[in-house]
Amino acid sequence: MTDSDQSHVFERVVRPHFDRLYRLAWRLTGSKAEAEDLFQELLIKAFGLLHELVKIEEPGSWLCRVMYNLFVDQHRRFVRQRMHLVDEGHLPGEGLAGIAGDLDPVAYSERVDTFRLLDAALQQLSEDHRIVVLLHDTEGYTLIEIQEITGAPIGTIKSRLHRARARLRQILADDGTFS
Amino acid sequence: MNQKDMMQEQELLELLKDYPVPEAQAGFYDQALVQAAHQGARRNRNRWLLTGFGSAIAAGLAIWVITAMLMTTPQVPDVDPAIPGVTIALEQEQTVRLVFASAMALDSATLTVSLPEGIELAGFPGQREITWETSLEEGKNLLPLTLIALTPAGGELLARLEHKDRNRTFRLLVEVS
Repeated sequence: MTDSDQSHVFERVVRPHFDRLYRLAWRLTGSKAEAEDLFQELLIKAFGLLHELVKIEEPGSWLCRVMYNLFVDQHRRFVRQRMHLVDEGHLPGEGLAGIAGDLDPVAYSERVDTFRLLDAALQQLSEDHRIVVLLHDTEGYTLIEIQEITGAPIGTIKSRLHRARARLRQILADDGTFS
Repeated sequence: MNQKDMMQEQELLELLKDYPVPEAQAGFYDQALVQAAHQGARRNRNRWLLTGFGSAIAAGLAIWVITAMLMTTPQVPDVDPAIPGVTIALEQEQTVRLVFASAMALDSATLTVSLPEGIELAGFPGQREITWETSLEEGKNLLPLTLIALTPAGGELLARLEHKDRNRTFRLLVEVS
């Protein structure tokens, strides 16, 4: 297969999953720059594994799993080493630009404020808890899908989800978001 | 869960469901594809080596040199009367550096590290077996493994290299002080 053929095959296999993968990258990293880096890293790795990728029945799930492993293997360790720089680059609420703009100005402003508080609350969770609650309650992944992506046992995922929700409720009640 | 908690949980779930994420910038996907095509094969071949040598600069614990990685075809771990060993401290990250000497360059080799119970690889919590696809250059190839001992038991770490239908397994005794 020529380089051009490889590129076309690769694009045909991976492009249908781009939106899902980009969202996953966002949920894992919490910032645009890091999401783009992780997304790019995944594609580079996946291209090198094209011979394996084309044989997979559900490449979307495989790509999600590889992305998660990349995040754990490289990204999380990188973040740990550069904690101060990550704080500098990650402003809570960076993702709020995606709010639909059909609200009146007052309602829009209130909505933005609420999501900022939610964003700040999510930052107080452990990484494992934050990822589970975002994948399940925000992105709509099933417990089985989360298990396939993260490799964590179902019981552990359920426990993390329960604890993450309880902690978020507590934080949002304490800051007045919930009456 | 009382009535108030249930209402707050429902409110939380609705909030999370609507929690936005921005779409990718126009052109980002196309650029990412081009980059992947340009860098994918080369980077896949080089990543492991770059990581290995980069990490090797940092202070590590021990160097275990494996010479003459001939890629013969034993199907069972080598019986080595003098299995190399290393001692690491409990609950402290310490780097063991493995050196694989290959007689030839090998693309798409698979390296699997199997860990004894109570020993973890940093960045892979809870995983007893980790597999990479990697490439070897002719000559020495360095692989740093950052280990964490969660229990004092120690045990035998296996590093298995596979290429096509050939494989070779190396052993390292890990003791915990």
